[in-house]
Amino acid sequence: MSEEFIKSLDPRVSRMQMPADINEQPLQKEELDQLVTYQVFMQKKEGKNFEHAGIVHAPTQELALLYAKEQYSRRFTCSGMAVAETSAVLASPVTDGGLSVYELLEGPAPETDGPAEAYEVFHLMKRGKQHEHAGSVEAATVEEAFLKAKESLTPEKPVLNIWLVRRSDLLTIDEEDKDIWQTLPEKGYRDAVAYKASDRLKEFKEKN
Amino acid sequence: MYGGGNTFEKLQGTDLQQEDPQQLAEFEARIQRGEKIEPSDWMPQLYRKQLIRMIEQHGHSEIIGALPEGTWITRAPGFKRKLSLMAKVQDEVGHAQLLYAAAETLGKPREQMISDLVNGKSKYSNIFNYPAFTWADACTISWLVDAGAIVNQLANSRGSYGPYCRALERICAEESFHLKYGHHAVTYLATGTAKQREMMQAALNRWWGPLMHFFGPPDKMSVHSETLMRWKVKMASNDDMRQQFLDMYVPKIYELGLSIPDPKLKKNEESGKWEYTEPDWDEFKRVINGDGPCNKERLAVRRTAEERGKWVREALKASARKYVAPLA
Repeated sequence: MSEEFIKSLDPRVSRMQMPADINEQPLQKEELDQLVTYQVFMQKKEGKNFEHAGIVHAPTQELALLYAKEQYSRRFTCSGMAVAETSAVLASPVTDGGLSVYELLEGPAPETDGPAEAYEVFHLMKRGKQHEHAGSVEAATVEEAFLKAKESLTPEKPVLNIWLVRRSDLLTIDEEDKDIWQTLPEKGYRDAVAYKASDRLKEFKEKN
Repeated sequence: MYGGGNTFEKLQGTDLQQEDPQQLAEFEARIQRGEKIEPSDWMPQLYRKQLIRMIEQHGHSEIIGALPEGTWITRAPGFKRKLSLMAKVQDEVGHAQLLYAAAETLGKPREQMISDLVNGKSKYSNIFNYPAFTWADACTISWLVDAGAIVNQLANSRGSYGPYCRALERICAEESFHLKYGHHAVTYLATGTAKQREMMQAALNRWWGPLMHFFGPPDKMSVHSETLMRWKVKMASNDDMRQQFLDMYVPKIYELGLSIPDPKLKKNEESGKWEYTEPDWDEFKRVINGDGPCNKERLAVRRTAEERGKWVREALKASARKYVAPLA
């Protein structure tokens, strides 16, 4: 009995030897490969603030950083990147209109004597835009970190959402490895400006 | 690129009656003010459902759309074309990930979306159920299918859902490369040897029908589509997008000395609208429901990748990590 395979115009697809009736049974999937999500923060240029770029799915934080580099720095400049597991991002509520979310936070911070940790603070200044790094605070608890951010980082314009991430939860590229971002000369072919057909078209029109 | 011609779920007129009137009014007022909706905001069930469906379809279209083009990477003429096409296909697959992430913020995990695609429960852009016979077909996709998608995506990027807008902003920036690359590749064929011209014209003839189908059938204005427009989920009618596409690209096609296989195609100077032979909507329906030249192959390829890649995912799997939906 010869098994029938899907024939394709694409020789690579034909070589996959996929049974002709492959789609007839539903795909049985266990819940095994739902990878964890990581939030990616990116610095476009030296001296600019880190901004939230998006997410990646990855099995580990090291791989998340690698995937993030592929996904978010393929073109244009990039000078730094950091990733944190989504569950490590501590988010405030989201407000709207002219209400700053900091106005919802009532101080002063309760006295605590635990060891202080560094938190990175990200602000959303406009709905639909990305969160941007606003600074960092040292605090013993999350509650204290929010209040310290209110004391030291509140900008004039209303902040609509705050994200706190413990610095220890962020993985980033070491200072001495920063030359991995020096890739611009190699990626010109990914830019629209590399494809100029106007001379060719002009010549064609003149001839015809 | 590649979304377009979205199909929306049929819904009951009573759907909105179950929503809290005050929350609904606040939600609509926020959209009226031009503010974006963020994932943690209250939103009507109907809004959530339609957005998941639309963004998920868009994501699947990127994945499936990469197949007919990806086919041509190894056979693209020369190193430069291979490099460009590889970069483009990589972008498309990356776009799918951005879109899946945006849909995930609404509560549907990527895992479930992939299963629904493979099992035929979710749709993707119908145009990718047609084959790319020659290199010129691949160039036609890169230029004109992407062009159609950009019309659709620019409209959608003015929509109301924050995460989708953010994803589209990134996607549109990359599309400008695709469009220029596609136009460059088509121009070189169309202005090349007689044989190259002939190959280019034949590809355009094959793709014109699917391109006219791309934005979907003319919308029937219903209460349902009015609601989607008011909520800034659907941003332009299928016909308006089709007209916009014709306005922008018919002159560019003619400029290359190519013809369009529709004798009725012309712009009515009085109305400013394009007139054309109505595309075969029966064929469109037949193909979207599974009976197209490549439907089976496309799903089989995606499914096989899923099945044969299972051991890799298992090997990488981090134990005891709990999945959390992305925040923004």
